[in-house]
Amino acid sequence: MTYALLITVFVISTCGLVYELIAGTIASYLLGDSITQFSTVIGVYLFSMGVGSFLSKYIEKNIALTFVQVELLIGLIGGASATLLFLMFNHIDNFRILLYSLVAIIGILVGLEIPLLMRILQQRLDFKDLVSQIFTFDYVGALLASLLFPLLLVPYLGLMRTSFLFGLFNLGVALWTIHLFREELPWRNSLRSTAFILIVVLVSGFAFSDRLMGIAESATYQDPVIYSTTTPYQRIVLTGNSKDLRLFLNGNLQFSSRDEYRYHEALIHPAMASLNKPQDILVLGGGDGLAVREILKYPSVRSVTLVDLDKAMTDLFKSQEVLTRLNQNSLNSSKVKVIIDDAFVWLRSTPQKFDLAVIDFPDPSNYSLGKLYSDTFYRALKKVMKPEGLIVVQSTSPFYAKNSFWCVDKTIASVGFNTTPYHAYVPAFGDWGYVIGSLAPFKTAKQEHYPTGLRYINSDTVDQMLCFAPDMLPTITSVNKLNNQSLVHLFESEWSEYVDAH
Amino acid sequence: MSTPISRAAFLKLLAALGLSAATAKFLAESKIGREWLSLLQQSTNFSPKFSCRILGPSQKVGHLLRGKQKAGPISNSRKATVTIIGGGIAGLSAAWWLKKEGLTDFVLLDLEPVVGGNSVAGKNQISAFPWGAHYVPIANSESKYVRQLFEELKIIQGYDASAEPIYDELMLCHQPQDRLFKDGSFHDGLVPKRGLQKKESDDISRFFDQMISFRQAQGSDGQPAFAIPLDLSSQDRQFTALDKISMAQWLKDNQYETKPLLWYVDYCCRDDYGSTAEFVSAWAGIHYFAGRRGTAANSEQNAVLTWPQGNGFLVEKLKEPLSDNILVNVLATELKEERGKILTTYLNTQSNKFAAIESDFVVLATPRFIANRLVPDYVQSPVPEYVPTYAPWMVANISLRQLPDGQGALPAWDNVSYYSQSLGYVVANHQEITTRFKPTVITYYFPLSQQEPKLARKALYAASTEEWSKSIVKDLEKMHPGIGNEIISIDLWPWGHGMVRPSVGEIWGESRQSMKEPRGNVFFAHSDMSGISNFEEAQYHGVEAAKMILARRT
Repeated sequence: MTYALLITVFVISTCGLVYELIAGTIASYLLGDSITQFSTVIGVYLFSMGVGSFLSKYIEKNIALTFVQVELLIGLIGGASATLLFLMFNHIDNFRILLYSLVAIIGILVGLEIPLLMRILQQRLDFKDLVSQIFTFDYVGALLASLLFPLLLVPYLGLMRTSFLFGLFNLGVALWTIHLFREELPWRNSLRSTAFILIVVLVSGFAFSDRLMGIAESATYQDPVIYSTTTPYQRIVLTGNSKDLRLFLNGNLQFSSRDEYRYHEALIHPAMASLNKPQDILVLGGGDGLAVREILKYPSVRSVTLVDLDKAMTDLFKSQEVLTRLNQNSLNSSKVKVIIDDAFVWLRSTPQKFDLAVIDFPDPSNYSLGKLYSDTFYRALKKVMKPEGLIVVQSTSPFYAKNSFWCVDKTIASVGFNTTPYHAYVPAFGDWGYVIGSLAPFKTAKQEHYPTGLRYINSDTVDQMLCFAPDMLPTITSVNKLNNQSLVHLFESEWSEYVDAH
Repeated sequence: MSTPISRAAFLKLLAALGLSAATAKFLAESKIGREWLSLLQQSTNFSPKFSCRILGPSQKVGHLLRGKQKAGPISNSRKATVTIIGGGIAGLSAAWWLKKEGLTDFVLLDLEPVVGGNSVAGKNQISAFPWGAHYVPIANSESKYVRQLFEELKIIQGYDASAEPIYDELMLCHQPQDRLFKDGSFHDGLVPKRGLQKKESDDISRFFDQMISFRQAQGSDGQPAFAIPLDLSSQDRQFTALDKISMAQWLKDNQYETKPLLWYVDYCCRDDYGSTAEFVSAWAGIHYFAGRRGTAANSEQNAVLTWPQGNGFLVEKLKEPLSDNILVNVLATELKEERGKILTTYLNTQSNKFAAIESDFVVLATPRFIANRLVPDYVQSPVPEYVPTYAPWMVANISLRQLPDGQGALPAWDNVSYYSQSLGYVVANHQEITTRFKPTVITYYFPLSQQEPKLARKALYAASTEEWSKSIVKDLEKMHPGIGNEIISIDLWPWGHGMVRPSVGEIWGESRQSMKEPRGNVFFAHSDMSGISNFEEAQYHGVEAAKMILARRT
């Protein structure tokens, strides 16, 4: 019995420290500033243990029963603590209140454990042995926890599974104690069934923690996640409520259904309407089919060739009803041909010629994307254009990244296009920029050439879009080449400046 | 009632803890547990999870030349005006020039299953990759043959208004070009630049200033001090005298003492010559920095051209029009005079049959230690033939599930560690224009420069495939902890005689001059005749041999 109870000391002290470490780690993940988070979590935890120890004197009879109840509670609360903290982070206004309350509750319960155990063991050991052995096991347990946690538990189990696992150990202690004191404990059976129910809860938590993590991820989006998948190229997440549908690629917002029409009308119509009966259109990127939707508003269009890297993306926008409603089923149109390939590679091999090429790539945030904004790329693009053809390029924000925007403009101009830069306000993105490249001088369309039913573009808005305020003019100019990648450098420094300042 | 616990009992308790039992069960049964255990196993007792193979040049077949049997019953014989022995860049360039000048009646023999020599390349499902030479700097104005080839292959696409060549931008090395791992993370560029003491950075900038003045220097004969090909360099003694001391000595004489610079110069010597600054001639050491004067309309000065398969790209282009002329898997065993012609006997290593070619001229486009075994007696030189030394190399192509980022700067084309005796690695897919994240191949270069070539060569072949793989992974782990888990396969290619070493006195001594002399109608072409091993030198000697033959014919 004595041995058994001393093992218990060891296990509960390991569990106790693990909960403290979990709370500290999650607080530093979610709130930042790990020194502050760890200090305050440890402080609150130790203080609460003191409170628990103090309270232990009010427990007069049936110490073993109280001990079992305490273990069951710690098992549940401690075991679920990581999941609780992750899931609640986005749903409550003051995360710190939850954090410190949870830490305090666990601390008080853990503070009760050792005094109770000491009193149980009191009759079996001399005082000097009692103190020496209880604290030996307590501190050895603490050492084990502090080594296991960073070396094994966090890297291989993750925080959620770790907390479930240690909750199970507490429940194990509860069951073990029930067994040891089976002679003297009241409500033995109900205690035991409670323990088993809690074990089932925690084991399922452990088993399904990946799914729980998914719920926690969805909590980082404003709206419920209605679809998510990981493709070889990106993580696609679609969120939605009754009014708004949002697409995120690798966590970056691609569009919001409330204002995407602004972005896509501005991308397509200034160039498209200025062409005389455009027939063959190329879209690079834009696997959501929203640009294609705008293109199909022109009856003269004979073919739309869409080249996108990610088949999962185009399949999604061909098949999911909420999405085909949004893109008006454009990708399933008989005029549209979807090609799954690398845009640059495909471009260099195609014999086709186009009236308009729409370039809707992600922003140049890494070197492989930077290659898709290089002069070599635009030179390849020039070769597939008909003599009267136009290109239009989404060119990041002339407000947040003005030098990047003008670098795209200058790069397009450097290969012999006349460029017409313009920008539009898209609430979900901010002020967004585009560049039209033409082989002949570009003239904006007359009002009657725009399709009817547009919500944002008309000849007046286009005139407005051509005007750049002084704070959008460049301070550095350079041409983006494969062997200098200057755009990626500009883009990185400009966006990081903006992010740092906010 | 007291039951004190003894220390032994306490330890027993610890061992028997339910906790550890549960953990052990979990480790054994769960996926994560097994992964962790295998990791633990791997760190204690290396047993690679990926395949490793040793490939490489046909060492055994090559060594047949040392044996007695040089000829047997000739199964067939043919005639040609020229026989070229050796299908590296020198031999291919001789062929290129002959064909260009209208002489198409020649045969090119190579021992290997494919031509290419040091520029040979490989390919797997992921990418093509180099086994040796993997880039060429943009051409100097005096590098006429290089320019001519580049124009033909459309590597140079034209010239701008100020006559600057316009290069194919898909071949100019894309940014980021290189990065150095030092003090725990990568920074861009190969010259150490972070956290330097003032004296250290002063040494570096003084060194580069001095290299720029060497680059611009001309000798009293009006020639550039350091030219490519190096035979066009000035013969002014103030420069050629640099060949008489080692690079290390020159650095010492010029009061360069700080470690970052000395490391960098030593790295460059190992990179270009497979030998340390202690052994490399100062003239050759400086040539690395001062020789390249290439400019282009659309790149920085001294940019480099590279391809996924390295210089294997140039090999493919050079061999394309030569399909009727090339014989592979054949070992030339003997040259002799017959009826005023040269009879080349060769062994087909597949059929094990001998055959012969009768020709007017022979180009020995092999390293000199092989060429000397073939030079026929009747034209042997009266003095013992000179043979330079060659540095052994190990090259590994490593297929990775994905390229690890590493700390600091993002992956570049050339990735070097300050702390490694290797030269780091080159990313084969660097020039790709895709945005896919996918498996990649890296080419790891390791010159065995710390020992004399003979000893190093023994070490190269003595270690097993597993031992080599283990030490390579260990070296890479320092730059990229955990890279071992990303490896799909490692293929090794030991080069016993990788690159000629420009030792002190090699470049401007009499021995090298003697190597260039033809023996009768037997001509030589190899980069070892320059004392340094690169595309431009190999091509130069190949074209020069072809030119001499064409001149002698008329």
